[in-house]
Amino acid sequence: MNTGTELWLFAVSLGASALGGMLGMASGIFIVPVLTLWGHVDIRSAIGASIVSVIACSCGSAAPFLKGRLTNVRLAILLETATTAGALTGVLLAGTIPASYLFFIFGMILLISAQQMLAKRRDPALASIQSLTCRSTTWRLDSSYPDRALGRDVAYRVQRLPMGMGLMYVAGLISALLGIGSGVLKVPAMDTALRLPIKVSSATSNFMISVTAAASAGAYFVRGDIVAPVAGPVALGSVVGAILGARLLMSISNERVRLLFVVVLAALAVQMFVAAFGRDWIRGIA
Amino acid sequence: MSRRTIKPIRIESLLAALLNVGTWFAAIVIAGGLVLSLSYQRTSFLTGAPIVTVGIGIFVLLPILRVIMMLTIFLKERDYQFAVVAAIVLLTISAGLAIGILAK
Repeated sequence: MNTGTELWLFAVSLGASALGGMLGMASGIFIVPVLTLWGHVDIRSAIGASIVSVIACSCGSAAPFLKGRLTNVRLAILLETATTAGALTGVLLAGTIPASYLFFIFGMILLISAQQMLAKRRDPALASIQSLTCRSTTWRLDSSYPDRALGRDVAYRVQRLPMGMGLMYVAGLISALLGIGSGVLKVPAMDTALRLPIKVSSATSNFMISVTAAASAGAYFVRGDIVAPVAGPVALGSVVGAILGARLLMSISNERVRLLFVVVLAALAVQMFVAAFGRDWIRGIA
Repeated sequence: MSRRTIKPIRIESLLAALLNVGTWFAAIVIAGGLVLSLSYQRTSFLTGAPIVTVGIGIFVLLPILRVIMMLTIFLKERDYQFAVVAAIVLLTISAGLAIGILAK
């Protein structure tokens, strides 16, 4: 590993993470494609490096959400029983799944992300005000958060917990397999099942990502699958990039940036499919 | 009722402090290791790679510490229901570590 490679990894991760941060996405979704497609890093090393950067970004950005009382820590730890169980399943499966399948699954996740970015996200808590009959009393998860725009505390209820847990299990599984935060799968879980206010679900999902990732990263780390010369610069670059991205989010987040991201995500998805099946397969269907 | 409104703020600021300090610490260790490996690589075989590995290890450990902290707080508050939940998460992560060691 030479100087150039380390600096390249650092710079690329910084860029990927800043890009992800600008739209409130985790960096992992860009890091694995960039490392494998352009850096010619083996996909398993890329996944190992990415999962560490996912932990770094989640831990590094958690404090403001916690202090702003947006994170529901009780709900987070409860859902983490499902995400870590999913991650454990992912660790067990990871060794048996061929690299080409990993590229394919990653391509699918990129497509889902692109689709989610196109579709505007509605605040599910506002849509479900009339259906507040079912309470989550046994777990005492209902809470409130201070809404700056409204200038008061907004109370919310946690709904359809079993469905939310099921979706979180899948999110944990995909997180471990692909080395991503799986925010893209947690969003539907938070929105369609639990029906949390957007600010609460973003903060809680971000808080959970590090523990979910630690369940698989721990296994990969002690197994020796995490290559320090790759993972080190990537983790460091991601943390710096996430800080920059959060700043940029304030200034240039608009429709054009969103569309640009949809195009980037779709292009990366196509490249991952090519990597999965080879060029001949793409020519075959074209 | 007043007790319940104070508690969540306390647990949240403790967690925020842990994650903040931990992230800085791990990032600085990794950065130090990388700088070392960059400056030594031409003259000797001594590299900063082991230090970088330690930094990565701290990042992996940080969420586990966060769960341990939550478990401790739940126990202190006699919230045994959630203490059990935190213990399950901890056991699941430990199982992952055990799988990693066995598969080595």
